[in-house]
Amino acid sequence: MNEITVTSADAFDIRDWLRLDLMPHFMCPGCGHGIALRALLWACHELGIKKDKLAIVSGIGCSGRTGAYIDANTFHTTHGRPLAFATGLKLARPDLTVIVISGDGDSLAIGGNHMIHACRRNLDMTLMLLNNEVYGMTGGQVSPTTSAERFTTTTPAGNVEPVFDACKLAEGAGATFAGREATLQTPALKDLLKAAISHKGFSVAEVISDCTEIFGRKNAMGNSAEMVLRQKHAMIPERSPDDRVPEPFKPNPFPTGVFVDQQRPEYGELYDQVRKRARERSK
Amino acid sequence: MSQTQIRFSGSGGQGLILSARILAAALAARGKFVAQSQAYEPTSRGGLSRSDLVVSDREVDYPLVTSLDCVVILDQVAVAASEGLLRPDTVTITDAARVSAPPGEPRRVLALPITGKARGIGNIRVANIVALGALAELAGIIDPDSLRETMLDLVPPRFRDLNAEAFDAGREMAATLENA
Amino acid sequence: MSNPTNIQGNAAAAAGAIAAGCRFYAGYPITPSSEIAEQMAARLPKAGGTFIQMEDELGSMAATVGASLGGVKAMTATSGPGFSLKQENLGYAAMTETPCVIVNVMRGGPSTGLPTRPAQADIMQARWGTHGDHPIIVLAPHTVREIYEETIRAFNLAEALRTPVVVLYDETIGHLVETVTLKEPEEIITRKWAEGPREDYLPYAAGADMIPAFPRPGDGYRTHTTGLTHDERGFPTQDPEKVAAFMERLLGKLETHRDLIEKNELVETDGADVLIVAIGTPARAAKSAIRELRDEGIRAGLFRPVTLWPFPEEALKAAAKGKRAVLVPEMNAGQMILEVERVLAGEAPVTGLNVFNGEPITPAQIAAAVKELAK
Repeated sequence: MNEITVTSADAFDIRDWLRLDLMPHFMCPGCGHGIALRALLWACHELGIKKDKLAIVSGIGCSGRTGAYIDANTFHTTHGRPLAFATGLKLARPDLTVIVISGDGDSLAIGGNHMIHACRRNLDMTLMLLNNEVYGMTGGQVSPTTSAERFTTTTPAGNVEPVFDACKLAEGAGATFAGREATLQTPALKDLLKAAISHKGFSVAEVISDCTEIFGRKNAMGNSAEMVLRQKHAMIPERSPDDRVPEPFKPNPFPTGVFVDQQRPEYGELYDQVRKRARERSK
Repeated sequence: MSQTQIRFSGSGGQGLILSARILAAALAARGKFVAQSQAYEPTSRGGLSRSDLVVSDREVDYPLVTSLDCVVILDQVAVAASEGLLRPDTVTITDAARVSAPPGEPRRVLALPITGKARGIGNIRVANIVALGALAELAGIIDPDSLRETMLDLVPPRFRDLNAEAFDAGREMAATLENA
Repeated sequence: MSNPTNIQGNAAAAAGAIAAGCRFYAGYPITPSSEIAEQMAARLPKAGGTFIQMEDELGSMAATVGASLGGVKAMTATSGPGFSLKQENLGYAAMTETPCVIVNVMRGGPSTGLPTRPAQADIMQARWGTHGDHPIIVLAPHTVREIYEETIRAFNLAEALRTPVVVLYDETIGHLVETVTLKEPEEIITRKWAEGPREDYLPYAAGADMIPAFPRPGDGYRTHTTGLTHDERGFPTQDPEKVAAFMERLLGKLETHRDLIEKNELVETDGADVLIVAIGTPARAAKSAIRELRDEGIRAGLFRPVTLWPFPEEALKAAAKGKRAVLVPEMNAGQMILEVERVLAGEAPVTGLNVFNGEPITPAQIAAAVKELAK
């Protein structure tokens, strides 16, 4: 899964997947979320997913607003709760492909509890976690993934909190699929998302995105191209035992690739057995 | 409108809520309206436990007991809780061994060797059914035979004989007392 | 129709939900409502539905709304502290007009309060608990039979009017076991589904009934649902005209359907000198007190809102006409009385009987208060 599959992009036209009447979109110039959105729709296209059967559930923040541009059944829910909404939706409607678009604040802070329990439960849906190290929508506050010593509006003297590694968290909570890619490598990101969506069970695809306008500016990280190129220097193609958890107080290197890919009974199927047993017992 | 208020009380673990449930089921099956309540505080063994029934010919208005027609007290710990709810004519059944200072107000306290009888039958845990049998005989709220039937339907099959014996023993000791 | 059976109030809520067509329940254990979750865990899979115990109260409300967004009738239940947490996504359900039912079994508060003792101190929270102006229906059953019937009606109202509906009762009734005959529902309402070509469909456009048709995911409408203030297309808007139009419809829709929503019980109000206004256990105490007082020659009547919110303004006014005094017994420090005073301003003196020590209000307390007022 770590290799970039060579796929003809000709057949994929993002305009087929977007609500074009909503353009122009709200994202800032240089924001990585648009690249992630493109990779996601590209993955859906290659998987042959029908838009009518696609449900996108998102939370609050910049990540949460991206879902509205997708021409599918889109649900923009509340702060940190998209995984919980999606859990109800998927259980009620197992026929839908359910993809949650969330951010580092949404999934790792206010919605952290839902994230770890979604991993544990293993219901068949995908979390695309857009990690841009910051609360962009609210003006640039520190997030659980803000690198050490970075400046944000709530860490005016530099961040002293250690960061969360979303993939390690997912793995520790029992996720059956967890991987990470950067927006720098869109085809690889698309392939990661394809693998995540195809995975039977709960899958986490973390996307290293960039917030040029707020986080980049505050930390003098250059323009969007420079920010994306930074990913190149920080990314590690594969995870090795030495770089498991990004250490606090130094710029974060981030491993990329698929870290967890295993099979465990899927929650929806297990609940089918609960129904069967309940009916047999009541006979 | 005729309304009857009954309380089963004692200490946690004596099975009094089951006694109340059996009586409530028997009354409902015979066309009565029953409201059954109990304290929901975590009752460990030894603490106060009670279950109350308000029985009526139509839907019960106020569902909690205010003035008891009949009370079963199987442990001293339960005496104080009922003091304010007793009338001179309240049928008050106490366990002779476990209630040393019965409530003072009612004219007649029927102190029966309920737990002693249960132990004699072979299992102290059927004291609740002995009490139920005694109550059926004394309270005049239900035909004891039909209550016995309901009771046997509700207890686990392997304990049916034991419970039948307990129920009959309770009736008998009450009848003896009545005739005395 | 079943035979008379003894059933607990909380179990009756679960039975009513299943009878109404509820096929999804997400919950989190909390005293004194946990029996509802336990009952649903046992009953739903048999009915082909889904029960899930979520990781917290916030998530259980979110999953409930999520299931309903998928087109399935959904419910959750909670108490005090959990009801506070559920307000977040209850607001989302109100905003997105997603039908759902929330049972709140009231215990003593504030905070952790008295977990196993009855109270009625969530009357105002049930109406105003979530932020922002919002529509909500609150039903207040007072017997186990009524919990069953009102839970069915809660689903019907939620579906018909696309709104969250709260079923609100105190711990005494929740844990009470009563003899009830569970009748099959006379009517089961399911939300109006979107029909016709996608091009003509506006998910938040409504006709004279003010209730938009619901787009079932998978039916091809591919709509957007958001907690942001939205236009008829369902997309965020800040256009003051559109915002105002949306809010007017959202807040007006329940008023338009008051006939469907409103339900009151009147007991011996004609010719009464004192009118008692009560819900839940105090209403039952009032019924008992009214009978006792009648024997003493004191004439009291009861006005009981079965639908607590929207508050039955006109019906209360009519019932209070010519009464010498109005008594509002509540197991709180005075909540419903504020509405009664507002509605009856100047027409009749209103007095509260407030008990908030964790004990239910008794017939004797009400009888004494009425006697005082009848002097």
